[in-house]
Amino acid sequence: MATDYAPSMQQAGVGSLHEKKGDVGMDFKLTEEQELIRANMREFARQYVDPIAVEIDENSRYPAEVMAKLAEGDWMGMPYPQEYGGAGVDYVTYACVIEELSRSCAATGFTLSCHTGLASGPIYYFGTETQKQKYLAPLCKGQHIGAFALTEPGAGTDVGAGSTTAVLDGDEYVLNGTKTFTSNGPVADTFVIFAVTDKAAGTKGMSAFIVSKDTPGLKVGEHFMKMGIRASQTSEIILHDCRVPKENLLGKEGQGFRIAMQTLDNGRIGVAAQAVGIAQAALDESISYSKQRIQFGKPISKNQAIQWMLADMATDIAAARFLTYYAAYLKDQGQPYSKEASMAKLFAAEMASRHTSKAVQIHGGYGYVKGQKVERLMRDAKITEIYEGTSEAQRMVIAGSILR
Amino acid sequence: MLNIVTCFKWVIDEAYIKVGASRELDLEWADYKLSDYDRNAIEEAMRIADIEGGTVTAVTVGSSDATKGIKDALSRGPEKAIFINDPAFTDLEPSQTASLLAEVIASRLQYDLIICGEGSSDLYAQQVGPRLAELLDIPCIAFVSKLDIKERQVIAERKMEDGIEVVTAPLPALVTVLPDINSPRIPGLKDTLGAAKKSVISIGKEELTGMAKPHLETTAIEAATMERHCIKFNPDAEGIKQFVDALLKEGVMG
Amino acid sequence: MAGVWVLAENRDLTIELLNIGRDLADKVSARLTAFLPGDRDRGQEYIDCGADEVLVLPALNPEQTVDAYIPVIVDEGRREQPDIFLLSGTLRGRELAARIAARLDTGLCSQCTALNIDEKTGLLVMERLIFGGAGIQKVVCQTRPQMATIAPRTFEPARRQNREGKIRELPASPESAVKILERKPKDRAAGSITEAKVIICVGRGIEKQEDLALVNKLAAATGGEIGCTRPIAEELHWMPEDTCIGLSGKQVKPELYIGVGISGQIQHITGIRDAKVICAVNNDDQAPIFDAADYGIVGNLYEVLPELTRQLEKITNK
Repeated sequence: MATDYAPSMQQAGVGSLHEKKGDVGMDFKLTEEQELIRANMREFARQYVDPIAVEIDENSRYPAEVMAKLAEGDWMGMPYPQEYGGAGVDYVTYACVIEELSRSCAATGFTLSCHTGLASGPIYYFGTETQKQKYLAPLCKGQHIGAFALTEPGAGTDVGAGSTTAVLDGDEYVLNGTKTFTSNGPVADTFVIFAVTDKAAGTKGMSAFIVSKDTPGLKVGEHFMKMGIRASQTSEIILHDCRVPKENLLGKEGQGFRIAMQTLDNGRIGVAAQAVGIAQAALDESISYSKQRIQFGKPISKNQAIQWMLADMATDIAAARFLTYYAAYLKDQGQPYSKEASMAKLFAAEMASRHTSKAVQIHGGYGYVKGQKVERLMRDAKITEIYEGTSEAQRMVIAGSILR
Repeated sequence: MLNIVTCFKWVIDEAYIKVGASRELDLEWADYKLSDYDRNAIEEAMRIADIEGGTVTAVTVGSSDATKGIKDALSRGPEKAIFINDPAFTDLEPSQTASLLAEVIASRLQYDLIICGEGSSDLYAQQVGPRLAELLDIPCIAFVSKLDIKERQVIAERKMEDGIEVVTAPLPALVTVLPDINSPRIPGLKDTLGAAKKSVISIGKEELTGMAKPHLETTAIEAATMERHCIKFNPDAEGIKQFVDALLKEGVMG
Repeated sequence: MAGVWVLAENRDLTIELLNIGRDLADKVSARLTAFLPGDRDRGQEYIDCGADEVLVLPALNPEQTVDAYIPVIVDEGRREQPDIFLLSGTLRGRELAARIAARLDTGLCSQCTALNIDEKTGLLVMERLIFGGAGIQKVVCQTRPQMATIAPRTFEPARRQNREGKIRELPASPESAVKILERKPKDRAAGSITEAKVIICVGRGIEKQEDLALVNKLAAATGGEIGCTRPIAEELHWMPEDTCIGLSGKQVKPELYIGVGISGQIQHITGIRDAKVICAVNNDDQAPIFDAADYGIVGNLYEVLPELTRQLEKITNK
């Protein structure tokens, strides 16, 4: 069905309908390719994801068939060069795609952004040529799924408190410890795992490793049953004398913290886009419901109370989308984007949580029933305020940057 | 080796059309799309080219607004596109579109098989394909749901009201295809990126003998209305009784 | 002298066109001419139904398609210069019309839903649906003949009266390059939905194919035929494709339409817009079909259908 969603930034109100004023300082228009790619992902999600979204949420099932289709359409290594099997598109395009996929199913959107941003990202940015050929290429081609194992039971936002250790023994590092809340953990072929190589050096004593799932000593631990994004698979990763070849060290010893932080900056664009997609879906649902739902003899969309909620929702979504694309644009331009990515993630996540709750409110009792999309959206939105840096951590980054 | 030509149209996406205050259609916010049935036409052209070998050329008529449509079409497989492009080439009626296509196809392309969608998803006049065949003076088979090429003969199943008709015609020929002939692909990321690198030949009005005058003149376009009672009943026995009573009053029962 | 021509691929459709054709011919003081493929014996019936002249198209070889008639019709058109030419909008009719229009270099209004003579200009004003049924386009044609295809059952059939007219045989057609290899006629166990007075139409709200039994019972209680939306026929293959109702399927105009588990996409609604009474049963009270319906029941169709069937059986048994 038609929605009132403006499909491109041009249509968000800054565009070609009005007279051109010569050279302008800002260009909000997506390119034709970007618009087509967005439309193709929308169609992809409508065809392959919408029909199963309720079921995979209910059963906490990994949508392997969708991931295979994503691989077929070259969606698994979007920002990375073609020489590694990627598509080499910019981050604005990447954000559009994650947004559209998340609009149908946030869990599927996150599975892809976790694979692409968190797992493949550090290998691309810090890996050697050999590592890229061996690990990045199968990830980009979608032959392998990637996961990123940083969080530990005692080290969430406080990344430096990690207690997993890596000790060099001959040609191998021996990893011991437990990682928790590892997204894609149960389904991943390739892990990027962080461990302490020099306890005395604090955050400078952390290193990153590429670890294959079949490495002896690596075990997938408890699967977590989550409140939202239930089709995204999350587990503990238990490392018991897990021997990783020396050549799988990512970057240099001691670079782990930097790798983690840079990866998370990057990942924030993905989470922000995911939150925008969730909120957009909430708006789509709310508009169509409020136009159809008759109370007191008229559609509830005629009530100002509803109209104001919808207007606020649309405004916040537009703002979040612009912040997200701006952070992506800065990254594409090779400019610093850490603060902007944090702003985008913070704002998008909080507005998604707020407005999915409003969407349930607009739907009344019907919105509180299992199987209704808004009910799922509300559960899915919450996680965007938590993972890849909580809202509080984003505020720390932003404050740190503006107080410098 | 077959030279296959497929024609497509870049149209307003009807999902975005709104009805204005005075029952006029508000197209200002409308987005465009590749006409639904033309996706099937392009897909079928690619399928035949894969089996028989050959090249696929996509042709469209439009103004420069359609450049995105050309990329969309090319991302679905054809190796090149011809863009009959002029600011005047918007809101054409089917006879004009067909004559522009005919002139360009006759003068610039080798063709064995031309595949069109059964109609466009905006006007759905279903005329351009058959008219084009007449202007090129080649056999025409419309409403095809299954297509094969054997020894330079088209073998086509057409789905008619009274059953299926299997027909044959010698190449060169034109077919128009029904949506159930195939499932059009959703272009992958690299397909879209690759489309920008394919060759597009743009042909302007000045390179053509001139555009025919329209035969049909559109005097008005307005929103279609359906005046209905829109009364809802409860799903219990009492509500259903009221529903049945309403049908009896309307005199449509028995 | 100006003329109004009608052409349809069978008798019933010709009789419908003769009705509107006679009406237009009287308005513009023109003669009404009907084409009659093959069967000369039917000529008088067409005359009785309003034709002033019947042009008999000689029967074709079995492997020929109706497009073989195009050259003969076009020659006759050039000679007689009719003012208005109406064709029945069957699939064959639509192809034929477009090709004849191309050869006569004139305009064609496809699947015209209403037509009238403008008293001032004397032009035929034609209406048709565009944008998947969201819009109505009004057109006039500046060249002659003014051509239109008209969907079957848009107009009532003409009534037979005693009239006089001419029957003339046209020359045989040259062979067409398109040849028929095989005809697979449709099984016609059930009646056709385009002729049904009552249609029960099923959509995606039906969960399993077996559940169609519930719909069958409702159809039996109302004496109706069963139709479906596109996905039911094309994706799920639960029903034959010729029962598919909508813009790209059948256009129907029953007395009563009951949509069961149908959301009501514009493409489907377009196919039922001429139904006298539209009803819907759907558990989703926001389904767009309720906007297009006269009467709706919001509820679980697995509970509603048995009760509705029971109540209707009571009435029809009386």
